[in-house]
Amino acid sequence: MMNFVMNAAQMLLLVLAAPLLRGVISKLKARIQKRRGASVWRPYADLWKLLHKEDFVPNTASAVFRAAPVIVFAVTVAAAAFLPLLHPAAFLAMDGDIFLFVYLLAIARFSISLGSLDGGSAFGGMGSSREALVATLAEAPFFLVLTALAILAKTASLSGIAAWTIHQDFFDVSTVHILAFVALAIVAVAETGRVPVDNPTTHLELTMIHEAMVLEYSGPSLALIEWSQAIKLHLMAALMIGLFAPWGMSETAGLGAVAVAIGLYLVKLLCLVVGLCVVESSVAKLRMYVVPDFLRVASALALLAVIFTAITKR
Amino acid sequence: MGLIELAAVKVLSSAAVLLFSTVLLMATAKRITTCVYLLAVQAVILTLEVVAAGYMEHVPEVYIIAGMVLLAKVIGIPYALLWLMKKLHTPHDVGASLSPGYSVFVMSGLIVLSFVAVRLYLQELHATEVMLAAAVALILSGAFLMVTRSKALMQVLGLMVLENGIFLAALVTTFGMPLIVEIGIVFDLLMGLLLMGIFVFRIRDTFDHLDVSRLRRLRG
Repeated sequence: MMNFVMNAAQMLLLVLAAPLLRGVISKLKARIQKRRGASVWRPYADLWKLLHKEDFVPNTASAVFRAAPVIVFAVTVAAAAFLPLLHPAAFLAMDGDIFLFVYLLAIARFSISLGSLDGGSAFGGMGSSREALVATLAEAPFFLVLTALAILAKTASLSGIAAWTIHQDFFDVSTVHILAFVALAIVAVAETGRVPVDNPTTHLELTMIHEAMVLEYSGPSLALIEWSQAIKLHLMAALMIGLFAPWGMSETAGLGAVAVAIGLYLVKLLCLVVGLCVVESSVAKLRMYVVPDFLRVASALALLAVIFTAITKR
Repeated sequence: MGLIELAAVKVLSSAAVLLFSTVLLMATAKRITTCVYLLAVQAVILTLEVVAAGYMEHVPEVYIIAGMVLLAKVIGIPYALLWLMKKLHTPHDVGASLSPGYSVFVMSGLIVLSFVAVRLYLQELHATEVMLAAAVALILSGAFLMVTRSKALMQVLGLMVLENGIFLAALVTTFGMPLIVEIGIVFDLLMGLLLMGIFVFRIRDTFDHLDVSRLRRLRG
């Protein structure tokens, strides 16, 4: 019973705290750039505002346009159920859920691309073609990283990998883990549309990817898309923490252990966020034609990680 | 006491990983200065490795070698390269003839290749597989950097990486060469750097650029 409550709680935490994570990131970025920045609760207010607005739909749009935000949201929340957060077992866990996780996110991208094509504006089509390019190039390294870790842990479930890693020695630096971490960091940046690949704060550039796709959406639909984008960012962060630094997760269901687990999770998340903010404030966005090269680096590293699982026997 | 020993063991076991990451980063680097800093980091790892090996094997004269490596490779050579860059007023890009993405792919291939190559000789040489592979990988990637980067300074840098590899190979196969040989090698390296520095200046003065891929015609 206690386990079930905890599992449900960690999934809810993933979904409900996602806008707050976004708020913290933009606040921290503003601080680094010597601005005041909006309140960290601002994303919630934005969602509230959007949910109470009218939903405009272009004349040319069909049911696909209306369905896309709902599908994106549902699929992203479903993916959240597979991530271990506070203890090394997820709400839903089964052997092979690494594949499910990757392709749930792929479904989300697919439907948002379709929706933006259906909107009928030139920008939407441009955005979705770019998104498709980034997605195809990011999928292979993403998959290879998870495969490498699955080979090491001898289980193809995210919770299983976390449970295996937690019993390893922290100081045993394994080549596979370093390579996989760097590759996953690059993939996460591409997947969530952060700075070197895409600029999340722009509505004005010709080079935007995600923002170009959601240009036609408004009201509750936009709210769902924005929220699922925030969840996705939180998902990738939680994935990196769960796979590479699960130490501190509570293996028993006591209250004290859970409190420690939550505290440590927040600390780890904060470390990732600070890293992200520093990178975003100090690195310029890549040209669109350099993005494949950036992702190729991730592919090479991920491939090397997989090969290393065979070379270094541990 | 126990802690120092633990640290030494960890350095020995994880140094290879860090060396791999430095060469992979060099493959992605777009500026010569980045590569120079990475070279310095590589030398720091080598120094730690030498100290750790000396501690584990209880060979006091290894510390002298570590000091020389620190002086020559961590401080001397990177400083000299940065000074050269400043004096030459040359553009900072490495002049890559292979894009960073493909370079990393080739570099990964070279690392895997070095593992395969090392495995054949593992019985005869009593060395740990990963370290020996790291040494071979450093040699190969140094050569790779020399071939695919067209700036003359990058050729110097590739040679330094290659030399680091040879140094590491000597370290892991013999657990420290005789001191006199080591002094000779370091001195050799410094002379080499000096000569190449003069060469780079001459190339710049004669051709007004440092791009080796454009050195096609003889000029008096």
